[in-house]
Amino acid sequence: MDRDLTLGDRLKVRSMVYVASEPIPRFWPMRTFIHHNPLFGLEHLPFDRAVEQGTALFHGRGYLPRRAYQRYRAEGKVDDRALGRYVRAFVEREDPRLAGIDLEAWLWSVLVSADREEICPRSDWLDGSSLRDALDDRSPSSRPSPTEEQLAALLRERILPERMSRHRSVYSQLDLLFGTRLAATLDDLLIKSCLDFFDEGQSVWQAPGREHGFYRSWKEVARRNLRFLLHGRDLAAVLASDQEPEAMIAHTLVTLEVPESSWQDYILHELTHLHGWAGFIRFRSQAHHYYWAERYPADLTDFLAVRMVIGLTLVQEAARRHRCPGDSDAIAAFVAASPFEAYLRAELYGGSILAGWAQRADAAIGRSRRRELGGLAVDYIAAKRRDEAMRQAGILADLARSVGPEAEVGLRDLSERDLERLVEVLRTWESQEGYAWLRATEAHYIDDVIDRVRPSGSPRADRRPFAQAFFCIDVRSEPLRRHLEALGDYQTFGMAGFFGVPIGFLEYGNGSEQPLCPAIMSPKSLIVEIPADLVLEEEPLYGALSHVFQDLEHSVLAPFVAVEAVGLLFGLGLIGKTVWPVRYHRTYGRLHGKKPLTRLLVDKLTPEQADSLVRAVQRAMIVRALRSELGLGRHQITDADVRELREIALGNAAGPPSLTVQLGLSAEDEAVFVEKLRTVYRVDRHEASLQMERLGRLGFSLEEQVQYVHRALVSCGLVRNFSRFVLMVGHESLSRNNPYESALDCGAAGGGHGLPNARVICAMANKAEVRLRLRELGVVVPDDTWFVPGAHNTTTDEVTLHDLDLLPTRHLLYLERLQNGLAAATKRTAAERMATLETGQRHDREPGKAAAMALRRANDWSQVRPEWGLCRNLYAVVGGRHLTEGVDLEGRVFLLSYDHRLDPDGRFLENLLAAPVVVGEWINLEHYFSTVDVHRFGSGSKVYHNVAGRFGVMTGNQSDLRTGLPLQTLYRDGQPYHEPLRLISLVEAPLPFVLDVVGRLPKVKSLVMGGWIRVIVLDPDDGYKAFVLEEGEFVVHPRSGLTERSTVMEGVS
Amino acid sequence: MEWLELVLVGMLLPVFPASVVFNAVIRWTPTGWGKAAAMILLPEVGVALLSSISSARVPLVHSRGWIVLVAFSALLYAFRAISVREISIWARLMATSGLGLVWIFEATHRGRDVMAVAVLAWSVPAALLLVLAGLLTERSGGAYLGLQGGLARVVPRISSLATLSALALVATPLFPSFFALLHVIGVLRLFWLWPLLLVLLVWGWSLGGFLQQLLFGSYSGERFPDLGTLATSSGAVVLSLLVVSAVVWSGAWIGI
Repeated sequence: MDRDLTLGDRLKVRSMVYVASEPIPRFWPMRTFIHHNPLFGLEHLPFDRAVEQGTALFHGRGYLPRRAYQRYRAEGKVDDRALGRYVRAFVEREDPRLAGIDLEAWLWSVLVSADREEICPRSDWLDGSSLRDALDDRSPSSRPSPTEEQLAALLRERILPERMSRHRSVYSQLDLLFGTRLAATLDDLLIKSCLDFFDEGQSVWQAPGREHGFYRSWKEVARRNLRFLLHGRDLAAVLASDQEPEAMIAHTLVTLEVPESSWQDYILHELTHLHGWAGFIRFRSQAHHYYWAERYPADLTDFLAVRMVIGLTLVQEAARRHRCPGDSDAIAAFVAASPFEAYLRAELYGGSILAGWAQRADAAIGRSRRRELGGLAVDYIAAKRRDEAMRQAGILADLARSVGPEAEVGLRDLSERDLERLVEVLRTWESQEGYAWLRATEAHYIDDVIDRVRPSGSPRADRRPFAQAFFCIDVRSEPLRRHLEALGDYQTFGMAGFFGVPIGFLEYGNGSEQPLCPAIMSPKSLIVEIPADLVLEEEPLYGALSHVFQDLEHSVLAPFVAVEAVGLLFGLGLIGKTVWPVRYHRTYGRLHGKKPLTRLLVDKLTPEQADSLVRAVQRAMIVRALRSELGLGRHQITDADVRELREIALGNAAGPPSLTVQLGLSAEDEAVFVEKLRTVYRVDRHEASLQMERLGRLGFSLEEQVQYVHRALVSCGLVRNFSRFVLMVGHESLSRNNPYESALDCGAAGGGHGLPNARVICAMANKAEVRLRLRELGVVVPDDTWFVPGAHNTTTDEVTLHDLDLLPTRHLLYLERLQNGLAAATKRTAAERMATLETGQRHDREPGKAAAMALRRANDWSQVRPEWGLCRNLYAVVGGRHLTEGVDLEGRVFLLSYDHRLDPDGRFLENLLAAPVVVGEWINLEHYFSTVDVHRFGSGSKVYHNVAGRFGVMTGNQSDLRTGLPLQTLYRDGQPYHEPLRLISLVEAPLPFVLDVVGRLPKVKSLVMGGWIRVIVLDPDDGYKAFVLEEGEFVVHPRSGLTERSTVMEGVS
Repeated sequence: MEWLELVLVGMLLPVFPASVVFNAVIRWTPTGWGKAAAMILLPEVGVALLSSISSARVPLVHSRGWIVLVAFSALLYAFRAISVREISIWARLMATSGLGLVWIFEATHRGRDVMAVAVLAWSVPAALLLVLAGLLTERSGGAYLGLQGGLARVVPRISSLATLSALALVATPLFPSFFALLHVIGVLRLFWLWPLLLVLLVWGWSLGGFLQQLLFGSYSGERFPDLGTLATSSGAVVLSLLVVSAVVWSGAWIGI
């Protein structure tokens, strides 16, 4: 392509980038951490195939090492019968017909007793003949050295593969052949450019020109980059060739001689190389109303263009300095012309060379004598063939020994051809083994949950409970619910922590709106928090001082000026929060002043009310402006003055205002003041119109309020027998110095706190008008029932009730009992949790101490694991509490209350499956992949984390953005604490009903049929038989008592 | 004749270009133990040979030119070691660099008995590294770093001893080489500070690369056994003795 790309060509490049970005999961900023499936882009495939593709794309692993599964088996967590079934199925499928070899026994031995990670390691030269020689302990039979053609074919596969899954970029090919570090250098330079551009307020000095977009602003800076010039990297020359990012991408690919048919694969691998950054840019370019993206736009085409330019420059520099090929064709020609040298180079720089030959190869490559290299390569290949054969022979012999004497005999008698076939079959088994282990472990837990989750025999007494409480479906709610119910007459329910009310929340004192709903939704309504007490504007002394200190911290010059003066003060804080964290933060909170009592604006405003509100705000801003700019106190101005200034600022009247005349201001000063009113204090027509639009979003109409409350109550099955207190308990966490704080908060509330949602729904449910309408719909809420919002702190297990000042007087008599009950449940839950966090200490007898320990952990800024979060999540139960009441599910279950009898058309079940269960799947798979490969899918150890730009973390000074969860969240004492298994969802409803609902939800159907979620249906209409979905069919579980096979798939069209 | 003797000493107490012989002998000596023995013995023989030559007969070694040559030799071998990945080669080159500086003791009229002890500051840790390289070769086939990385997790004992030995080679306090270098800096004029600091800088650079390739990364090769308790303890004792002797000897030496 020439310099001037046509629009069609540009679109073609963009579409390639778009298609290539599909497998890359979006990465939300960590301020609102969203659990997501790292293989989200591959969910259209069945699970096992998606794992195979995803692990190749992202260079990670999809299953635990064999040793880990063997440990699970030793702990009784694996169903041996299921495992045996999978082995038999594999043998029947492969059918290798190896005489004298009981393949099932061999594979079983691999599973349960092999301690090597790989039974058949990768080999270049292994064949039946060399294997036979090694097994028979014979010196290897002489064979001709490989020809140049054979070697070239092998190298083409390794260095220049055409298969997408093993594609290599030009610079990674050069790294492999010439030991350059182009790929690492490219990543470093690109990451630095990304840090400069995407910074969201962490840096004091901002990169220039960001408003022009990523590629353009980077280009302007890169042209003048002295470091590049000193390294001899002539970026300016490369950049001069093309202006647009699409053109630069095309130019680079053409210059590197990448065939156009390979462009899609090439782009895919370029983007997935730094998939953290790519995922963040992808999120950013698609997010609605993301402030930083609106100000500083960037997309993946820009990202790729920057990467391509830097890559091309590095390749050209390497070609000049190291005299290596400068494009794909030249590399292929080099490999074809000097295959022995290329092979030695690939072995050495790829790290696969035999250790004893490395120095010789290094020295020979340095001398660059072709004949020497050829001779050395021939000798090396012979040695490698021997080594591979001996290694494989040793492994096979050990394996045969563990199987038994017949296996040893069988191995001894195998022909060369059959030996090769045996190795091939074992290698194929190893590639599928992880999936077999996974299913066998899940089978154990499916048995377990079916055994334990059954309808309770005795019917619940129709007594009015003392209190009812709605908790989030989060797994951390389960222990608290269990302990609360055990303490007394409490009834609990589970629903998504946003209580079905998606809101944008404008917190008091916070200027920006926060969406409090699942990430897949966009809230239409805005809820504003306003103080209930009117106070004069003043800031506590400590608050003012803390602003000063914060400014000092962020100033570049401050360390030079103020460190001796105020450093000691910072030191006091350092000591305080290290040695006495709880006391320190309590004192800190007191000094800052308590948050005033607030109310939420829940009701929709009429246009008149909205207009009145806007006027009130504008008047307040004018009063503030008069004080700040002209030093006038409120007592010096009248309402008429304010009204006049407002009209002038809005352009409805002409100046000068009488006030400024009285003050003797010049015309110029008056104009400046009016302009400031418009630009700084935003008293202008456009802003007023924006505010009116925003206020139009404020609150909910009566009809909407009725619908939300009705849906919340009916979907959970609470339509009668309301208690005096109905608690709506959102959840949140508390931790210090924790970039992953948001991951511990409520995912259903978009990674925020669920309390505002709880307050909103309680405010709605307490309204007389709403209750009147509910009565018409058949839900009778007694007059003495009061909905109380609360917050469950999952790090300390404390439950704090809010808006108690609104409680009816008569309820105060019972409040103490309620709060005592919650406090007792808190301590019991803390005792249960602390036993898993502070191992080796007894907590069950001292719940009070456990609660204190939990509080300390929450406030300790050095604590890398304030709580386990959603670790060990495994089940989701969609059904009545009668299935799980009193059952200790160890905090591993998402409990969603549901009564199918109140849902004749399946709408509620649709909502539950489409939203909370999908979010549960995201959470589950994030934990899954982060556990099986904590360094690639997870984010590694927290110890090395550094916050990047206020939106993510990196490992060390610079790295890809770390997606996934950290080691400390998932591992304990070096072993996985989270058991990576797919979510096992149990739905209590008639099977045809469930199938019908699933059939209406294409996404859910795809997840279910693709094996991303394991499904069990407990059919109450069929004697509570448990139907388990296995390989596309629902099978009656043996522990249901019956053995018939049921293939009821007609409902799924 | 004295010149010949000097060249011979230069082969044993290596200074460029005669140091080529020293390096060739170490290189071609088989086994790690053999190399270690040569590493310790050859410089001692060199010092002994030098002792047999009267200072008056070889005024060259007291000249500024000799110090320049010694500094150049130290810098050359330190620089050469930066790109080396094989442990035994690295140890050999770094020892050559450090041993050359011992000539400055002679140039500044320090006793030759002090020299005999000072050479141990480099030859002993280098010998230890050569032994470890040999053991690593026996167990894994080679001692070439950077192929796999992450040896700290696989063979923590070998890695720990190698790390401490490497630190001992590059004048890290409290190893003897630190005090030896301190003395060298102390007795020379300020003008000579620059080349010596350059040597120190290059040593640090080389050490950084060595440790990076030895310790960090994720190992995915075949597992092999680490050192036993006795061998590890012996290595630790040797290194501890080095530290103790450095503190005592150098303290006595500089009058503390």
